[in-house]
Amino acid sequence: MSQPADAMLVARDLHRQFGGVRAVNGASFTVPSGRITGLIGPNGAGKTTALNIIAGALRPDAGTVYYQGRSITALPSYKVARHGIIRTFQVSSEFAALTVLENLLVAAPEQRGETLRQAALGKRYWRPQEQADVERARLLLARFEMSAKENEYAGNLSGGQKRLLELMRGLMANPALLLLDEPMAGVSPSLARRIEQHLLDLCSEGLSMLMIEHELAVVERLCDPVIVMAQGRVISQGTMADVRADQEVLNAYLIG
Amino acid sequence: MNTLVPAIGFGIVTASILAVAGVGFTLQFGVTNILNLAYGDIMTAAAFIAYLVTSAGISVWLALVAGAAFGAVFSVLLNRAIYTPFVRHGTRLFGMIIVTIAVSLIVQNGLLAIFGANFFSLQMARPSSVHVGGMVFTSVQLAIIAIAIAVMLLVHLLLRYTKLGKAMRATATDPELARNCGIATDRVIDLAWAISGTLCGLAGVILVMNVTAFTDTTGSQFLIPIVAVAVLGGIGQPYGAMLGAVVIGIASELAAAVISPDYKDVVAFVILVIVLLARPQGILSEIATRKEVAA
Amino acid sequence: MSVAWQFYISTVLIYLGVDVIACWGLNLQFGVAGLVNFAYIVFQAAGAYTAAVLTLGPAKPAKLGGFQTYVGGASWPFPLPILAAGLVGGLLAAVVGGFAIRRLRSDYEAMVMLVVSLIATSVATNQVGLVNGPNGLALVPKPLETMLSLSPVGYQWMFVAITAAACVCVYWLVHIVTSSPLGRTLRAVRDNEQAAAALGKNVTGLRMLAFVLGGVIAGVSGAILVEFISAWSPGSWLYPETFVYFTAVIVGGSGNNFGVMVGALLVPVAFLEATRFLPQFGPPGLIDALQWILVGVLALVFLWFWPRGVIPERRRRFPSAARSDQKRSLIPTRTGR
Repeated sequence: MSQPADAMLVARDLHRQFGGVRAVNGASFTVPSGRITGLIGPNGAGKTTALNIIAGALRPDAGTVYYQGRSITALPSYKVARHGIIRTFQVSSEFAALTVLENLLVAAPEQRGETLRQAALGKRYWRPQEQADVERARLLLARFEMSAKENEYAGNLSGGQKRLLELMRGLMANPALLLLDEPMAGVSPSLARRIEQHLLDLCSEGLSMLMIEHELAVVERLCDPVIVMAQGRVISQGTMADVRADQEVLNAYLIG
Repeated sequence: MNTLVPAIGFGIVTASILAVAGVGFTLQFGVTNILNLAYGDIMTAAAFIAYLVTSAGISVWLALVAGAAFGAVFSVLLNRAIYTPFVRHGTRLFGMIIVTIAVSLIVQNGLLAIFGANFFSLQMARPSSVHVGGMVFTSVQLAIIAIAIAVMLLVHLLLRYTKLGKAMRATATDPELARNCGIATDRVIDLAWAISGTLCGLAGVILVMNVTAFTDTTGSQFLIPIVAVAVLGGIGQPYGAMLGAVVIGIASELAAAVISPDYKDVVAFVILVIVLLARPQGILSEIATRKEVAA
Repeated sequence: MSVAWQFYISTVLIYLGVDVIACWGLNLQFGVAGLVNFAYIVFQAAGAYTAAVLTLGPAKPAKLGGFQTYVGGASWPFPLPILAAGLVGGLLAAVVGGFAIRRLRSDYEAMVMLVVSLIATSVATNQVGLVNGPNGLALVPKPLETMLSLSPVGYQWMFVAITAAACVCVYWLVHIVTSSPLGRTLRAVRDNEQAAAALGKNVTGLRMLAFVLGGVIAGVSGAILVEFISAWSPGSWLYPETFVYFTAVIVGGSGNNFGVMVGALLVPVAFLEATRFLPQFGPPGLIDALQWILVGVLALVFLWFWPRGVIPERRRRFPSAARSDQKRSLIPTRTGR
């Protein structure tokens, strides 16, 4: 399989089973840079498992994941994140006892004062950068219209607000590639529309994304290209139009 | 070599006690999702009940029944009065641990307050010795082994063939689903506590039948091998606990014979550490690495 | 103030200092990092034994009048034994953390730590050559006693000063951790370790750090305690002692260093000291048993009504945008798109 010049992430022949179930069974796909790539398929197709493998949360039984040419397959999730691959979760995973602003601050990469030695150097050492991160976080909050919630405990937010926080936190980490697992799950339609617009804006600003999404209308609006998985394998890749015309895809959706 | 064979004999007795205790402990966790660290002290309390019964001149076998019944009733009441309310109140997992340890302290010190810091023994008729192979057993020890085997069989039959058993297994495998399907009813939970509580009480009595003297801390000390057995077999897996009991029971007695009697608990602990390092979910289970699960 | 009262108050202050230090360490592990270390008292004990052994000098053989056997032995001058105690507490935490801090459920982990505590007591009691078994170590020389010729009361107050100095040092350590980005990251790991890992945080490494630091602090608290009471045996560090510290942290306010100080005052000191003034009733040991029951009940009551404690974890707020607006205008490049 040839790698297009702007391939950011390449998954090659991934396999992963749980007990007797082959969740991912020889999946290969490419995620180009600068686009919102959709990952779709019927339930049980292995999408979340594939995402977990890429993110380092799961070790594949076989296969490799390449990120900008280097293999990241064996890396634990925190190291994958440090390469700039940031993932969000389908179930909101906010830091409940921290405020919204603190949730964002945690995500800031390469903070001063995060090691013991740096913490010992005292406020004068790490405070300026923390303040700069606070400003960046506040810009994010303003952009997503959540400035009023800055000092609210993240655990007290509504479901929709938690989804937004999940997204903002991911962005705060300065990702090169953002992995989104059903970012609009359980969110009101109007908020979902707003999130869609945010994602499009971010993409036009240069952020690459891989998004698991089950609502095909959303995929139509946002994603190009689209990867279709079924029963653990990739059965089609291409633009939404290509994929719609693909007979295998139609079969999978009718059956699966 | 001469010391090894009798040690295996002791090991079989210890394994019997551990099996009853371990299966009760792991069942309690498997079905209700609560790591009841008061388990050892409930064992002790049952032992004291048996002590009171035998001191009144009643047969030790009735004392056994009394202890087992006490374990059952106390465990059900404990869950209803304390554990479940705290869970429903929203207490997280590490809060529940503190609850169970608080209960453990209250029970243990309650016994201390009532009976004093002395050593006690069950009044039993002098047992006769039986020689089997190169091993020597007292009739009491043979009875313990027989009880353990009978209990294991009953547990197996219960889990495999009764509706309650299936409900317990379903609740252990997927508590959320079981609750949504109406399987994990209050009644099932009560019965699960009653059964594991019976095993707990029974284990407490047979434990002290096998020692020369016991005191208020005897049960909580026994937590070391109980936890080791549960972890080795896979927490929540009763068949794993049976397996673990045999391994740890015999291994610790062999260590006692070969190295020194002080090393019994150390062996259980070393096995615990090895399991945690190599395979923390134990031989049979997938549970230990699961995230927070509400009871 | 009469000498008797001075003795009493200075003693209470020293115990308070030791308990506050211990609670700060436990708070770091539990309140901030979310580790349920039910073997905490073992680390305090390790520190105590270390300090004792390094002050007692080598064990005298029985025929020369020695009555206790233990490993090692040196006569280091103050404050080296205390520093060594902290080091040993940290090393022990590194070893125990190596197998105990896995990606386990918190209650499972707590159960394992409880067993660690039980086995540690068992080993210390049975291996008499280690730290003199059930009798423990005694006649540990008090620091600076021979060097300064103070009256007994004067010495007490000097020891209060030593304890206070140790408190200041430990407070500095826990403060820099909890108030810095490191503290925030630890709390994030506590709240949701998967999300923290997904943001690039090395969860295991961070937990180990908190665990080891807690171990160091526990060791220091043990050292100060043993240098004061001059004796230490397995009876001083049974597993329920950890529970007292946990209750103190919960009652005071887990996650908050000041709250925890209040907890240390309320539980180990006030609560347990208060019974000292009760008349003796019942057989010996009854009051102790009742005390323990009350501690258990206290923990349950607080967990039900005030799980966040008397002084809960503070909500961090940051200076308002107005002030930083000024800064922004000075940096022309950082404008929005």
